[in-house]
This record gives sequence, structure tokens and C-alpha cells, in this order.
Amino acid sequence: MPCPQRQFTSTSIKALLGNGLLCLFLVACSAPPDSAQTDSRDPYESTNRQVFRFNMAVDSAAVEPVANAYRHSMPEAGKTAIENHLDWTGLPATTMNSVLQGRFENAGLSVLHFAINGLTLGLAELTEDPREVKPQDFGQTLAAYDVPQGDYLMVPLFGPNTSRSLTGRVVDAVTNPLSLVKAGGTATAVRSLQPPARVVVVRARQFEAINDVKYNAADPYARTRSLYFQGRAGRINARVGQPTANRTSDDLFESFFEAEK
Amino acid sequence: MNRVFTPVGMPTAVFSPVLRAVSLMIMLMMLAWPASMVRADARIDAANAVISAMVSDMDSYLATDAGDASARLTTVTRMLDTYFDLPTIARFSVGPYWRAASSEERQTYNETLRLAMIGTVVNNFDQLKGLTFTPTDSVPKGDNMVLVRGHFSDKSGQRSPVMVGWRVITPDEGTAKVLDVEIENISMLVTQQQENLAIIRQNKGRFGALIEAMKAKQTTK
Repeated sequence: MPCPQRQFTSTSIKALLGNGLLCLFLVACSAPPDSAQTDSRDPYESTNRQVFRFNMAVDSAAVEPVANAYRHSMPEAGKTAIENHLDWTGLPATTMNSVLQGRFENAGLSVLHFAINGLTLGLAELTEDPREVKPQDFGQTLAAYDVPQGDYLMVPLFGPNTSRSLTGRVVDAVTNPLSLVKAGGTATAVRSLQPPARVVVVRARQFEAINDVKYNAADPYARTRSLYFQGRAGRINARVGQPTANRTSDDLFESFFEAEK
Repeated sequence: MNRVFTPVGMPTAVFSPVLRAVSLMIMLMMLAWPASMVRADARIDAANAVISAMVSDMDSYLATDAGDASARLTTVTRMLDTYFDLPTIARFSVGPYWRAASSEERQTYNETLRLAMIGTVVNNFDQLKGLTFTPTDSVPKGDNMVLVRGHFSDKSGQRSPVMVGWRVITPDEGTAKVLDVEIENISMLVTQQQENLAIIRQNKGRFGALIEAMKAKQTTK
């Protein structure tokens, strides 16, 4: 009789190990908040800044050069295929989270896109408009249930998160149906390449923007934190049907003009 | 005793104090409402006009741009000075620390920020080429601003369309000017403010530290 653990593939075990490391990081962050705090949402700023420096060093040593080579050397057709495939692998999580949020139309669309594009394992985009599916993660689902966003955490290699979005990432990784499907050696190898490939693709897509923050900001850490919070809030607001309402900005400008009176 | 009734059959004793006040409020609102709507429309028109003029100005320059760095610098400087409310941007970008700064620090900061903004646009100038701005709508934000929304699309189709929002200050008197640019729901000015506040707070509230950090960055570019 097979051992129950054998139901998990090595990829899901790796995901669990990775998440275990994240948990260890969270334990490390549970130290008392530091006094060098410059933002009320970031009580572990000193630790976070150290992790940010580490991440930037990794970026300079590996991610940035690889992403740059990918941008310039990979043919456009290859880039499109890789990016389509990575987007396709995220669709099961989008389906699950859309259902949990009651966004059944988005869930239906993502199932449809997953099924149709699955004919080519997502390498070719066979549907009319891939942008009509709005990617949803478990962090957004938690936000939909009014779970507070928690503290800001800079996670080694994973970058900026809040405790809510980090929990969402862990849940999405563990529950991704694709990671639970048994597959042969080649498929397993492809799966294990997906996380680093995703990092390179995201870095390449945002190459100039990230470099602008990294090299031109007077405080790259603080700018990254601000961009993260605003971007995340935008995605969560869009979930509840407020397409371009940056409520953080609205409030800040409102207070500013009040104070100027 | 004869009781006088109103047309709706309510004793005047009840009608007088409560409904009379409500009726008066409704009448006042009816009088004020069209005026506020007219004012909102005028503000939206002013905001749309400034964005339209700025985009058209930039398009005219890009049509003849030969990549000359000094010509770009001159154009960007002129456009920032013409269309953007630089003094308000400077005040907003440092939040409560503006009041703590000396007049000399304020002046130095204004100039440093202006140069930083010009440098950012000039350094990324090539990315503006081939873009078309399509306005979608304009929404009043409070009593002071209008958010003009639209998207930039790449004529070649190589880049995905980008959502943009311009926050325009629309004073009762004077010219409407741009205060902020939001790209994909991310405010450039709020980002600048949060970065600036972090620098000042890391230096125990010393305003001069921000100026030093910005100047140090400008000299390393």
C-alpha cells in the first residue's frame, strides 16, 4: 500500500520546503519591532532593509544579467511562448481564488483559457484576449474577506510582501493543482524550472522600471515599499470593481489640501 | 377649536418647525446644485485643456526630435515649468517636514527636486517615442483637483497599453496645472513623498539630509 506522502510530487515537496524557509523567516521577523522605523506598516524595517540589500546583491549577481540576456538574446517567439506558459500555469490558482471571491465569470474564463491553451501546455495563446482573465491570488481572496494586510515583510529572494500576501503565496503554492499531478522526469524538470523562469521573465518585463528604482532612487528600499503598497492596493481595489481609484492617494491629497487651508 | 391643516393634512404645529427647515434646505440645495455642477464642469474642462495642450506640445516636439540631448533638456524644462505646479509638488513631497524646513532649505530643495524631475524625464525620453495618449474620462477629486484618466498605447503594438491618470489642480482663479501622474494606479508623487519621508526619518527628522541624499544621487548619474 503506498505511503500517503507519495501522493505528493517532488515539486510540491520543494514548494513545502520553500514555504518552510519562509516560515522560518517569519519567525525571525517576530522579534520585537525596531526603533528605526520610517513607516507604520513596516515594524521590522531594520531586518527588512538587510534582506533588501541581500536581494539586490542577488539581483546584481544573477537575476539582472540573466534577465538582460533574456531580453536581448531570446527570439520574440520564444519569449512569447515562455510567458504564455507561465501565465497558463497560474490559471488554476486564479480559478480557485475567483470562486472563493465569488467572481464566477473570471473563474469560468480562466477554466476556459486553461482548457483551450492546455492543448499546447500554454505555450501558444489560442484564446482571443488573454487579458480578459484577471489573475487572482489567495492574498486577494483574504483581502476580499477583510483579513488585515498585516506587516510589511521583505522576503529573501521573493521580495516585498505583507504577511497577508505572503500567506497567500504559500497557500497558492501548496494548493496549485498542477504541482499535485504526477508526471514523468521531463515534466518535473520543466516544473522545477518554472519559479526561476518566472523571476527572470518578471525582471525582464520590468527591466527599466526596476533599474530606475535600484540605481536612481535616493532610497531604493523606501521607494520599493511605496510602489509595492500602491500596486497591491490597486490590484485589490480592482477586485471590488474600482478600476482606477487610488484611494491612498485620494486620502493623502485630501489631507494635504486640508492642512494647507 | 379650528385647526388649520396643510395641503398634506398635517397639523401646522408639526409642519412648522421640522418640515419648514427641511423645505428650506431642499430649496437651498436646489439653488446651489446647478452652480456646483457648472463649477465642476468648468474645472473638468480646464483640466482636460491643460492635459491636451501638454500632450500636443510633447507630440509636436517628438515629431522633430533628433535625439539631441540639450534640445531635449530645454524642452522638458520648459514643459515642466509650464504645465506642472512645481511649488505644490515640492510641498507635498515632503509632507509635514516642509514646515520644519528653513526658507533656505526650501529653496534649495525646490531646485534640487526640479532638477531631479527634469533628469528623470530626460533619461527616459526614448520611452516616450511612439506612444499615443487616449483620454478616457475626467473625475473631480475634492474641491481642488480633477483626475484626467486615459491610456498610453504603443503605435507599433510592441508594448502593452499603460493606464495613466493626471491629477490636475484646478484653482478658482489662475491656471490649472498638473500635480501628479499615476501610472497603473501608482502615484509618482506619493511614491516620492514616501521615499522622502523615509530618508528624513532615518536621519532623525533632519530636512537637510534629504537634500544631501538627492544631490548625491544626481552627481553619481
